[in-house]
Amino acid sequence: MYSKRIHTAWFGIHFFLITAVCLAGVFWLIAQGSTILPAVCNEYADKAQLGATWCLGKEAGASNPVRRGIATYLHAAGIQAGYSFFAPNVPSQHRLTLELLYEDGRVDYESPHVHGKTAALRLESLLDRLADERYEPVREVLVKMLAFSVWREHPDVKKVRATFGAVNPPGMNEFEQGNTETFQPMFSFDFSLRDDQKQ
Amino acid sequence: MQSVVKSPGSQISVGLSPLRKFWQRFIGFLFPPETDTWLAVLRSGLGLQVIVYALFLRSDWHYLFASSGKGLVGREVGEAITAFDSPLIPTFSWLVAFGRNLNMSEETVLTVAWVSLLSAGCLLLLGLLSRPAAIVAWFVHLCAAESGGLLAYGADSFMTTALFYLMLSPLPDYYSFDHWVTKTKPKNPLLLGFWRRVLQVHLCFVYFIGGLAKCLGNGWWDGSNLWRSLIRPPFNLVPPDLLVQFKYALPLLGISICLLEVSYPIFIWLKRTRWIWLGCILAMHAAIGLTMGLYLFALVMMVMNLAAFGVPSTGRRAEATSAITEQ
Repeated sequence: MYSKRIHTAWFGIHFFLITAVCLAGVFWLIAQGSTILPAVCNEYADKAQLGATWCLGKEAGASNPVRRGIATYLHAAGIQAGYSFFAPNVPSQHRLTLELLYEDGRVDYESPHVHGKTAALRLESLLDRLADERYEPVREVLVKMLAFSVWREHPDVKKVRATFGAVNPPGMNEFEQGNTETFQPMFSFDFSLRDDQKQ
Repeated sequence: MQSVVKSPGSQISVGLSPLRKFWQRFIGFLFPPETDTWLAVLRSGLGLQVIVYALFLRSDWHYLFASSGKGLVGREVGEAITAFDSPLIPTFSWLVAFGRNLNMSEETVLTVAWVSLLSAGCLLLLGLLSRPAAIVAWFVHLCAAESGGLLAYGADSFMTTALFYLMLSPLPDYYSFDHWVTKTKPKNPLLLGFWRRVLQVHLCFVYFIGGLAKCLGNGWWDGSNLWRSLIRPPFNLVPPDLLVQFKYALPLLGISICLLEVSYPIFIWLKRTRWIWLGCILAMHAAIGLTMGLYLFALVMMVMNLAAFGVPSTGRRAEATSAITEQ
């Protein structure tokens, strides 16, 4: 009986946390205005999202033990993120093009790469995160590191220009008419061996 | 007039009766007697999943998880973001720091971690040292998922969750080598039932939220999201020219996916519709794996679904086992 009570209590807490995480995710999507719901819902969704994240302790200070405890549990159980994959709509693909400028004036184009297909999926996942405004604070550092990973293979490169953007695929009808994808630049950075300049 | 309440005490007991009934029904739902066949499916399926995960990442393992200056982006940024959430979440830095005390280089530690993960997967598949293998697999995979958090995608979360449940479930099961070698006593059928329920309810959350979020996007109603997801690199395994030929089927498929997912928590519980829903969900994941190359995601979802709902519920057998165990 004692064991049953412990298991039942754990069940309640566990699924309460999952509910909060999932609702926070759905409310965030609505608050962003990326759903078919009318714009009037966005403000309410924003408030509801705050309520859901409060349940997860995210409104507490970064060093708050309750917040840390909940976060540790969520990560350990793999339930820190909601389940709205490819929703409400499928996002655009993102591309990072590195323009390599050599000492002798040559110009070459490269992209960060990995060996296996599974790792390539992960690299795509990273590029999608770069486009997310929540990752803005670490964007330049990450692009610099990606540029550096290519730089190591081309040590005679003097300067690297990294251009990041969204690749918009053609719709079905556009594809039938012969249209292809379009590239929409979002930001670019210049890196040299000595100093880094942001454009 | 038969229900006249005579005293405040009896009034409370009359008021509590439906609540108590509900509670008993809830407890009955949470702890149904079960055999461990589903657990054997989950254990062996996750063993296979861990092996495939380790083998697929073999050539990029060091490149993805090395520190800055050696790998793709270095694991420090991902670990810093994780540490901001909580410094208690395990990462590869823990293992590297531990290895340093033993004079092991970072490269050696990462190699040991990869070998441990692969070995844990093999042991899980065989059912040898099931519990320690499940703990090692969960821990090393969690370290990888958190250190490479920026590179993680849906399959990682599901793997962590599935390994977390497996680690806590009453291992070893009847079909494992552990049972064959040590002749362990039968596990408590009610506990087996409880952990299966956890997995079942979790999947209901997954599909309901996934389906609901999809229903909120206009692209799932006209098929354009299905088109975009299938032609989006690196998921573009099917040539767009071939897809265009099915342009009228895509809206129907998109709507079907939304309805299938959002109604999963209802129809998967009904005996008449369970096999239809399970079959459709398995087919959907198989299609995701084959047409988009998301093999790891497809495999872990199929394993979880098969363990949760694919193995017929064996209540009577489990009840008999329970009675024998109690005697």
